[in-house]
Amino acid sequence: MAITGMGVASAYGLGPAALLSGVLSSKPSFGPVTRFDVSGRRANAAAALPGSPDLRSTLRDVIEAACAQAGLSNRSGIPLFLALHGDPEVARSRDAQHLPGAFAASVASACGFAPGRVYTSACVAASTAVADAAAAISLGDVSTVVVAAGYLVEQDQFALFDAGRALAADGEVRPFSLGRKGIVIGDGVAAVVLSAAAAEPLAFVRGWGRSGDAYHVCQPIPDGSGMARAISAALGRAGLVPEQLGYVNAHGSGSVLSDVAEARGLNLALGAAAGTVPVSSTKSLHGQSLEASPLVELVTTVLALREGMLPVNAGFLGADPDCDLNLIVDEPLAATPAYALSLNSAFGGANTALLVGTPS
Amino acid sequence: MSLLTRSEATWPQSQSDSVPALAGFVVSAFSPLAAHIAARCLEQVTATERTAVIIVSATGDLETAEATAKAVDAGQRPGPLLFYQAVPNAVAGYIAAKHGLAGPVICLGPQRPGLDEGLAVADLLIRDGDADEALIISVEQAMVPGGTGNAIAVLVKGGN
Repeated sequence: MAITGMGVASAYGLGPAALLSGVLSSKPSFGPVTRFDVSGRRANAAAALPGSPDLRSTLRDVIEAACAQAGLSNRSGIPLFLALHGDPEVARSRDAQHLPGAFAASVASACGFAPGRVYTSACVAASTAVADAAAAISLGDVSTVVVAAGYLVEQDQFALFDAGRALAADGEVRPFSLGRKGIVIGDGVAAVVLSAAAAEPLAFVRGWGRSGDAYHVCQPIPDGSGMARAISAALGRAGLVPEQLGYVNAHGSGSVLSDVAEARGLNLALGAAAGTVPVSSTKSLHGQSLEASPLVELVTTVLALREGMLPVNAGFLGADPDCDLNLIVDEPLAATPAYALSLNSAFGGANTALLVGTPS
Repeated sequence: MSLLTRSEATWPQSQSDSVPALAGFVVSAFSPLAAHIAARCLEQVTATERTAVIIVSATGDLETAEATAKAVDAGQRPGPLLFYQAVPNAVAGYIAAKHGLAGPVICLGPQRPGLDEGLAVADLLIRDGDADEALIISVEQAMVPGGTGNAIAVLVKGGN
């Protein structure tokens, strides 16, 4: 499946160029929250654009940018798959116009798309949407799908993650590192155009996999077997062996249990190759955009492959023996791999793996 | 591919139909109802290990969202359990663990209530090969405070 257009907004700014230069600066985009009052919270950092951007209009902007790059002007019959958390306003009004489906329908209509689908599967929502879009194209159901996703940092989710002690009190994301303390949530809005064929593709989604742990409400299965199945499914669809992978953009949330399970899953699925393939989690730079994060990470991965520079795993303090991976630390790694994995996991034991390939 | 229904369940079946509490979930009836309708659907059948869990809800968990907003607007800290149940994945994980369902976990927010979006995704997952079966759970909360929600669950497998 060809990726023919991409649009993105992150705390580094609007557009892919801002995201790429930001992540390759190796400096996280985190700062004190000023969008709302956090004086009663344990944590106070987020990765946020200036001010209080509007999700609906930001989504429209990134979708239009992706479509412009793809040359997608006639959108008749093309579905829009949208990954969302939801609108905090619905909790204050019970107004049906603020429900995810109505919100998505208005975005789709404004951009000229056919009614699509809304994914609300927490931190794998956007990657599940990409996998489903790729599958639908692969099976011949449709020829083009636009996948978009958006989350902008707001007070309700910040308060919930803070109450659950999931936010990093030190304001840094340190995936797979000793001393990691949790996540930093961030603004993330992204869109990609996926098509069966393209004259000038940016990259290809060569494989995908989705799996469940069948283990716990919110903890990953400790042996990483669920993530391993998703990775193996993605490799299988792509017809690749682990040694052909040149980069992994890991889920790497910076959470104690999740990072260990993911590292074990990578070792289980990749075998000896897990010790050599370069790994980083770009959440350590752009933050975690909840339902939208996988799409920001997919865009980041494509940009990194095309640039020939793999982002660092920022915030690294020292090797955790339970996270045995070849992490990219200190500075971006110059490399031009043909294939990369973008991994995500979420509450409920949900796992996804997207396998990206460069145009060859 | 057409899907074949192996089992189905609805709630409420009568005015006295109740939903048992679910340990670890508070304030809202959303997750207890999802878990209850899943158990009711799987009472008479055994799903395969590669069964997807798909939760479909146009309303989402309004009661948890409202409890969170109420705490935030009052300048208070939400209860920590609300964090875990704030996304439908949480109860999907409970259902998957309880019934041994290791297929994909997917949650959808369609514009209109019902199973249709879930059936479409189940069909895609089975044809694509990441699942053999799918347990689709539709849970809706009342848009009017104090109203009664409803739920439907079906276990489907691929047909010809």
